[in-house]
Amino acid sequence: MARDKPERLLNLTFMLLSTSRFLPKHQIRRAIGPYREAPSDDAFERMFERDKEELRALGIDIETGSFDSLFEDELGYRIRRDTAELPEIELTPEESAAVGVAANVWQHPGLAGDSSRAVVKLKAAGLVIDPSVLSVEEPRLSAEDPAFDAVLEAATTRRPVAFRYQRPGYDAEERQLQPWGVLSWRDRWYVGGFDINREGPRLFRISRVQGAVKFIGAAGSYEVPADASMRAVAAALFPPTPDRTAVLRVAPGRAHALRASAVSTTPLADGRDEIEVPFAVVSELAAEIASYGDGVVAVSPADVQDAVIAHLREAAGGVA
Amino acid sequence: MSAADRLTRLFALVPYLQNNQGIPVQQVAQEFGVSVKEILKDISTLWVTGTADEHGQLIDFDYSALEDEGLVYIHDAEFLPRPLRLSRNEGVALVIGLRALRETAGDAQRAAIDSALVKLEAAVGDAARTPVDIHVERVDPAILATVRGALAESKRLEIDYTTQSRDERAHRQVDPLRLFTSEGHHYLEAWCLREQDVRIFRLDRMLEATLTGEPAETREAEPRDLAADLVDSPDAPRAVFDLDPRAHWMVEYYHATVLSPPGAELPDDVLRVRIVGADHAWLVRFGLRYAGVARVVEPGSLADDVAAAARAALSAYDGINGTTEE
Repeated sequence: MARDKPERLLNLTFMLLSTSRFLPKHQIRRAIGPYREAPSDDAFERMFERDKEELRALGIDIETGSFDSLFEDELGYRIRRDTAELPEIELTPEESAAVGVAANVWQHPGLAGDSSRAVVKLKAAGLVIDPSVLSVEEPRLSAEDPAFDAVLEAATTRRPVAFRYQRPGYDAEERQLQPWGVLSWRDRWYVGGFDINREGPRLFRISRVQGAVKFIGAAGSYEVPADASMRAVAAALFPPTPDRTAVLRVAPGRAHALRASAVSTTPLADGRDEIEVPFAVVSELAAEIASYGDGVVAVSPADVQDAVIAHLREAAGGVA
Repeated sequence: MSAADRLTRLFALVPYLQNNQGIPVQQVAQEFGVSVKEILKDISTLWVTGTADEHGQLIDFDYSALEDEGLVYIHDAEFLPRPLRLSRNEGVALVIGLRALRETAGDAQRAAIDSALVKLEAAVGDAARTPVDIHVERVDPAILATVRGALAESKRLEIDYTTQSRDERAHRQVDPLRLFTSEGHHYLEAWCLREQDVRIFRLDRMLEATLTGEPAETREAEPRDLAADLVDSPDAPRAVFDLDPRAHWMVEYYHATVLSPPGAELPDDVLRVRIVGADHAWLVRFGLRYAGVARVVEPGSLADDVAAAARAALSAYDGINGTTEE
């Protein structure tokens, strides 16, 4: 039998795939050259453990079980074909193309390798993956923050973590988190979850994590609450849905962003336009209106007009 | 080509070749994106593997078909008739990639992406529920469709847009070159006929986009250095503000620089920051917008301009709700 590692891993996998009963370690060792020829029991054990780990990383789970009802502590190994194999899957040309484009999205080498290996497996199942069938803008996702990999692992496997975190303008502090989710917003990565010390939901920007992320619990050691919402945790990043409208009078050539959001525009005799704009939060709309100075006058509703006046008075008198 | 990539390919070749008996080796190489030499090396590796040394089978290939005709026939590999399932990381990477694609896709493509995600659930298992979301700012679908169409068919576009910096409406004729996303925004890189140069336009600032009916001119245009366009220029005006805790999010949002820890005269939790504006008018709008949570520290002229602009705006409300001057 061949000596090199790929051959050894292939042989181990094929041997464990083609057995229905659990195979004991000594039988495996005897059958595979490099194991048989290992200089010591310890050397074989270490090689075997590393090989199992490497196969696990490729998606091959080796099942352990007792192979002999008389000797229960004698462990055996096998790979069940039905759980090891890719299930039947049929994709239309557009769906396959989407998979092909999606596999090119990552600029992160580890995840890029993972998605391209996924495509190799899907193609080996007979899927024809031709990205050009889908005419779509190709997004690019990078993840260069040093803490990204550990945070992704923690969120995916529900492991609590501890890390040093530096908010701008503050000293770095030790934080502990039960991650609920990871978010890419404006090409920046955020992790949100339950802050263990502050006892409430918090959002962290992954680039502000300093040093290594420590796992402080086992996988699955907490539940994400059913009503937990990354949107709620990351609310500051997302504007709320507008549910009211305000009427404004806008001078010619001014306030284009407000004009663009208007649901109706009516020209007035004095050359201005009266526009109706949707909004959600009075104070935010008032601040935006105020920023246009004398270019925009708030007409209604009364609470918006009052807020604009109060805001402008603050700006008129409140200087350092 | 990493060790993991090679192993994945070796495992994938076993079912692939069984399902494509007699396939030319060049086609295998093309399918897997490697050289013929790599595939031949893979075949020779697989040729000495099998289920067991003593009484088991070793994978066999038809030697003469390979040597004489370059065709691959594989035998005694029935223990692996289908590819291996995706590992958790492979599933996670692919699912997140599809979610990112979903953000930039049009309605028709989004349907294909969603159904691909559903169909992959059996293959990826828990990875389908991986808690990772990708957010890209939404753009007016009609504008996006027009721009994409113009790009795909090399047609000239007429666009109306506002810039981030100036409260102005500009009108341009452009030949589209490329669509991309950066920092969560959609951008069009295009040749601007008026400037006779390549320009970058943010799609959510476009108010209108229409085809002119003319074809775009093909030209060799140097791709712009994105970094130069999307970050602030050294000539942009700067100002210093004191931010209340309610405004600390601005550091993140406006890429503000936090100045060295403030002296004793500032109350706790107030951050002193430097913000770069596109121009003076932008800084005045900023000062007006965030009055109450961000106070101008310097320059003094900016503080005066903000106050003056506010007073001018207030005059429109004279007589309403007691806004008359004291």
